[in-house]
Amino acid sequence: MWSSSNKIAAGDVVITWLTRDVIQPFVVTPGKDLNSRYGYYRHSDLIGQPYGSKIGSRNGKGFIHILRPTPELWTLALPHRTQILYLADIAFITSWLNIRPGSVVVEAGTGSGSFTHSITRTVGRNGKVFSYEFHEARAAKARDEFETHGMSDVVTLTHRNVCKDGFTVENVADAVFLDLPAPWDAIDHAKSALRKDRTARICCFSPCMEQVLRTVTSLNETGFTDITMYETLIRPHEVNQLPVLPSIAVASEKLKKSERKREDKRLRQIAQARAKHTEKRKRSDDEGADAEEDRMERKKTKTRNGTDEGEATTQNAWVSATTPDSLAGGDASTQVVSRVMPEVRGHTSFLTFAVLLPRVQASAPDIESALQRDRSDLSSGLSQCD
Amino acid sequence: MTDLVTEGSTKPSTTPKNATDRHHIHEGDFVMFRLLNGEVRSQQVNRSGAITLGRLGSFNADELIGQLYGLTHEIVGKSLKVIPPRNMEDVEDTEATNELINDGMAVQPLTAMEIETLKQSGVHAAEIIKKQIEAHANYELKTEYSKDKYKKRKEAKFLKAFTTVEPTLFNVCEYWFHKDQTRIRDLRIDTLSQMINLANIRPGGRYLAVDDVSGLLVSAILDRLGGDGRLLTICDVDSPPAYPVMTQMNFPQHIVVPILASLNWATAEEDYTPVALLPDPAQESIKSDKHRVRMNKRKATSNLLASARQELFVGGFEGLLIASEYEPMSILERLAPYIGGSASVVIYSPHLQPLTSLQNRMRLDPQYLAPSVTESWLRRYQVLPGRTHPTMMTTGSGGYLLHATKM
Repeated sequence: MWSSSNKIAAGDVVITWLTRDVIQPFVVTPGKDLNSRYGYYRHSDLIGQPYGSKIGSRNGKGFIHILRPTPELWTLALPHRTQILYLADIAFITSWLNIRPGSVVVEAGTGSGSFTHSITRTVGRNGKVFSYEFHEARAAKARDEFETHGMSDVVTLTHRNVCKDGFTVENVADAVFLDLPAPWDAIDHAKSALRKDRTARICCFSPCMEQVLRTVTSLNETGFTDITMYETLIRPHEVNQLPVLPSIAVASEKLKKSERKREDKRLRQIAQARAKHTEKRKRSDDEGADAEEDRMERKKTKTRNGTDEGEATTQNAWVSATTPDSLAGGDASTQVVSRVMPEVRGHTSFLTFAVLLPRVQASAPDIESALQRDRSDLSSGLSQCD
Repeated sequence: MTDLVTEGSTKPSTTPKNATDRHHIHEGDFVMFRLLNGEVRSQQVNRSGAITLGRLGSFNADELIGQLYGLTHEIVGKSLKVIPPRNMEDVEDTEATNELINDGMAVQPLTAMEIETLKQSGVHAAEIIKKQIEAHANYELKTEYSKDKYKKRKEAKFLKAFTTVEPTLFNVCEYWFHKDQTRIRDLRIDTLSQMINLANIRPGGRYLAVDDVSGLLVSAILDRLGGDGRLLTICDVDSPPAYPVMTQMNFPQHIVVPILASLNWATAEEDYTPVALLPDPAQESIKSDKHRVRMNKRKATSNLLASARQELFVGGFEGLLIASEYEPMSILERLAPYIGGSASVVIYSPHLQPLTSLQNRMRLDPQYLAPSVTESWLRRYQVLPGRTHPTMMTTGSGGYLLHATKM
């Protein structure tokens, strides 16, 4: 599967990482060019470069990173033919189903091949993947892709509707994975594909709760046990370096400053108004009651002004005594913070798991059946309603 | 023994550890036992030994050797009887409510003493539960759901049954997570699974790892190498690291011995020189056979160390996985030179802050492409007919990962 050499060779599938959102696969083909927003490149320029190189463009418009494909990168880069499985689900399913080197896995449908690539890597050369796709064109595309990626000796792809026609293998699979709109129609077939000489496992991948409930009923009736269900997600965080947050003392200081400013402005306006007024008086020769009023006003202002200033001073002293310099003085020190990205995947699918235990031909101990007897009446009643 | 017959397989030989079969219980295996109340215990199965499971009493360990993992057994005397797996039962909706049931009412005329006498006289659990139900004053007032719960609770109390748990990575991780979360630094199975996928662990690959999670990470990597590839770990002790989780995996030798090598943070330094130099055998006169054996052993250890060092310094590893108690940047600075271009770097922490500061430093360094910090989220559901809902109590966090690609 893919190249394991250090250096890029002609014919290799490589992944170009342009940005986090633009990750593209291509086959290195001498004579071909690569054109993007990030410049112009010739495929032949890549040959002999080590994987993981940053390559500058021929027209100086930028650079690209060339990576060795992995199933995880492929999931980000692959051409979508269907809705695909992502890392969180793939990784969890692989562990629960106990897929490891040498495992035999049955999968339906193939879809865009995201899960297929991952488990093909995990089962390795001693393992086997039987993948089924009912859509003919998608099956053909997937078959080409698996061939190009050197997976054909591990993956056997069959174009078939497994709900109608079942699987092509019997009693061999360690695990079955069903990503189908109606998995309950394939559960009987899955049971025949699974091995019976030791614990075998199944996972059904369905986005809707209604599907889960039907699947669970079907699994239970078919003889699967330990039925359980999970949801799993990866929440990406964005990391930022931000200035440390200002103390609230900064806010009160600012408010007081602006209050002082407002008061100063008011006094200035009064003074200006008075000056204008006095000038008018001089011109009109009229003194008396108005002058008295003016004196009174001046006295009031003086008193108020004095009080204000006194208060401000005391408060200022308090602020500087209790606030660290870095906060009050607007020091440029920063901190690293993180938060979950504003928009994240909130749901992929429900993962319904179950186990198929080796068939026990032992007659059930009569004590056990005694305990079950009174329940079986109930359950038979209900399955008829169903 | 039991009357279990499985299709198409006879019991394999029970030769321990060098066997490649991982689906049957071998002599010397550490077996996890799940009791009906959900509790899981682990015990080693030794020939002619006894297994004691608390309240369930004990039985002869030989009864388990050669059995398939995953079966449910009932203890009858000192032997075991396989009991078939049970289906889920549908529960019928009835008109019953708990309207007339009050707390604190004396509803069970059977006294604890009487029940104990029944147990002593060898009456089967099913029979005792039946008697309790018959005597229960308000049983018929209960809803069917509540009756079902009652019976399950009584079974967990009286039935002497357990299930052997197959030592898959998933099951072992879950067992340790519940048993002693701190010793695996809260590394949950979803996060662990992401790590080994992100690091592209595949049979035949070469990986570097720092495992301060009791060997959980090492177990995961070895499991996915399947006896083909290389894993070099760096640890902070001067003897070969004890990875206790590995014991629980019951790995056959071929999965571990040719694959795993370890250095410590001193021997992993390029200018490290051992304090005590190896005596030159040409100069030293061999005094006795015992002396020769000792000399050869020292020589072998020293060669092993030299070759592991050599392997590290040659570098070109395909992935670096870290789940450590040490400052991640200091580890990264030491080990990054030994991983190849396009290799994955995956770092786990139970806390977010160390990874955000690390990411903030890594993104300024052009040798790391797109360092990203993620958090794992997992929700389990109770799946029962008519009673499907997320479990009421769950794990608070699965931890955080930083992933980047080496350029």
